[in-house]
Amino acid sequence: MTVLFLELAQLWRLRALLGVLTRREVHARYQGSAAGVAWAYVQPLLTVAAYYLVFDIVFGMRLAQGAPTGRVGTYLIVGSLPWMAFCDAVGRGTSSLLDAGSLLQKNALPPALFPLRTVAASALVYGPLLVLLVLAYAPLHRFALAVWAVVPLLALMVLLTALLAWALAIMAAALRDVVQVVGFALAIGIFLSPVLFPITLFPAAWRWVLWCNPMTPVVLGLQALLLQGAWPPPAVWLALLAWIALLAGALSLLVARSREQLVDWL
Amino acid sequence: MSAAGDSRLKPLPQGEAAPPESVGAASAANSAIVIRADALGKEYRLYASPRERFRALFTRRALHRSHWALNGVSFELRRGQCLGVIGDNGAGKSTLLKLLTGTIQPSTGRVWHAGRVTAILELGTGFHPDFSGRDNLYFGGSLIGIGAEQMARLEPEIVAFSELGEALQRPVKTYSSGMVVRLAFALVTAVQPDVLIIDEALAVGDQHFQKKCTERIMAFRESGCAIVFCSHSSYHIRHMCDTALWLDGGRVAEFGETEAVMGAYEMHSRLRGRALEMPPDAPALAPTATRMPAVDAHGACLMTVRIDDLDEGDPPLLAAPDLVVRFTVRGRGDECPNLGFMIELAQGSGITSLATHEEGARPVRQSDGTWQAVLTFPDLPLHSGEYVVSAYLFDETGLVLYDAWLHYQRFRFVSPTLMPGLVRLPHRWG
Repeated sequence: MTVLFLELAQLWRLRALLGVLTRREVHARYQGSAAGVAWAYVQPLLTVAAYYLVFDIVFGMRLAQGAPTGRVGTYLIVGSLPWMAFCDAVGRGTSSLLDAGSLLQKNALPPALFPLRTVAASALVYGPLLVLLVLAYAPLHRFALAVWAVVPLLALMVLLTALLAWALAIMAAALRDVVQVVGFALAIGIFLSPVLFPITLFPAAWRWVLWCNPMTPVVLGLQALLLQGAWPPPAVWLALLAWIALLAGALSLLVARSREQLVDWL
Repeated sequence: MSAAGDSRLKPLPQGEAAPPESVGAASAANSAIVIRADALGKEYRLYASPRERFRALFTRRALHRSHWALNGVSFELRRGQCLGVIGDNGAGKSTLLKLLTGTIQPSTGRVWHAGRVTAILELGTGFHPDFSGRDNLYFGGSLIGIGAEQMARLEPEIVAFSELGEALQRPVKTYSSGMVVRLAFALVTAVQPDVLIIDEALAVGDQHFQKKCTERIMAFRESGCAIVFCSHSSYHIRHMCDTALWLDGGRVAEFGETEAVMGAYEMHSRLRGRALEMPPDAPALAPTATRMPAVDAHGACLMTVRIDDLDEGDPPLLAAPDLVVRFTVRGRGDECPNLGFMIELAQGSGITSLATHEEGARPVRQSDGTWQAVLTFPDLPLHSGEYVVSAYLFDETGLVLYDAWLHYQRFRFVSPTLMPGLVRLPHRWG
């Protein structure tokens, strides 16, 4: 674990550079397009708008009893927005070290800057959207006090995502196939989460599978907050902390084993 | 450039860290040390496949073969010193430079340095083609520790040095390769470093910019910057460096005063039957004549380099006891150029190389602006054989090579003496 803290101390000294790299990452994605950075926000907004229009306005679909809310579109949006943020950060984060190969081979920089700047760039895009989401759902939770729990919940989500992206980026540096496997895992991961269906619809015997998805506690927590104005249950916090502890342990092992050679692999 | 450095500069005992007392003394007497390598080693782990490499992340078992690219390299450099790193391909030169720069981590030992370390390696590869030159300048600056505020102060100077002018606002993808390296060189050298690390090319771009590059590097050196210079050009190493480090198989073969190390290295190369790399930046010795074109069409170049009294044979026979070489060259502006000349055996062993700047000679300006010089070897002291010559054109300082005609002329020579040998040395019978 010491290795990890040493890395973090180094990153803290370079936080100004992390800021520069993050802004550059966001700009570089859309450089050359007329709308520029606006595209980053437009895509998730359009997806959310489509869910609302299709499921709630056009078809008026309803969820079965026991779900946190009746309306399908309203339900889908709460889970899918953080899920999109997670996929964006983890997907790009996995290949972040490989993409930064030429920069790292030429400049004396800590490699961890690159997965972290990818996660920070995703947070920069999806953070404001999630704030909008909280405000838009005000009629459902009537600004209940419990809604403030969104702050620690999202902070833990960012931490979890950063640890995962960093670990996967190191693995991808060792073995390029990891990028493909992660892409596939993210594509099917949504079905192993309560994003599309309420957890109550899953057979009770198989619900443990959902907890193997690190985003399950985040989505459950957000659904409790935004749809019901209720505090996320203790299971959510415990599961999140357990995932973070597990990832931090795995990451410090990966960092210690790869530290000396990481740049040679890129 | 004197070689006074060697008495002050001693290699640390190899394979072990610096003794503590020497570190303590460093704070007092050796305060001018700017970079120090202690028992530096780099192990590359070779895996049978990327899958093995991936597995190694999760197991303690060693799944690799070790390759030590560098082992037990120790040295220290003081302000204003220049270290030349030489060695065969694969000897660990690039690995050493990367470790000193900090882009890769050492497996053993450590690098200590004072102040700013700047590396001139693969210039301009970090630029994003879609962003403007200015944008890349600020971003590139932040990567080497120049913040936005400082960059705003440095920007006018960088623009002036790189001579990009208005082009700075255009995307880098519209730049010529020369513009990219000019911007990159101006960027990395915008701040005076304490240690400058140069891989192979001292100068980039066209002749005009090459001169600016070498002038800037020399100015850094004048004001106390230490330089680590890795090159295959023994000419440049001899001309610039006061100490040299010869790496062989990742270990220090010799370290010390340049001429002694270069001499040992060249002996080693010769013994291994390799062509001597005497000409600066010359490609491997080719038996046929090659003329490298001058870097730019209107710049300095060799115009004619004629040898008197050659007959019509193939190769021609030198039909006179003296070897007389007549140079006509074009210089850059009013700058007095320097000329170099080398004679080798036709099979490729150097016999002698000479240059005007090494001997205080100057070519003579002609009324049409060209420069001429005549080099005479009276009673050419060579034995009979076949020889090949090369001609070089340098700038005023002797650091920028403007033009080179490698092995451009062969000739045969029949010596009046009938004894075997290679050259007739000045001698006396007692």
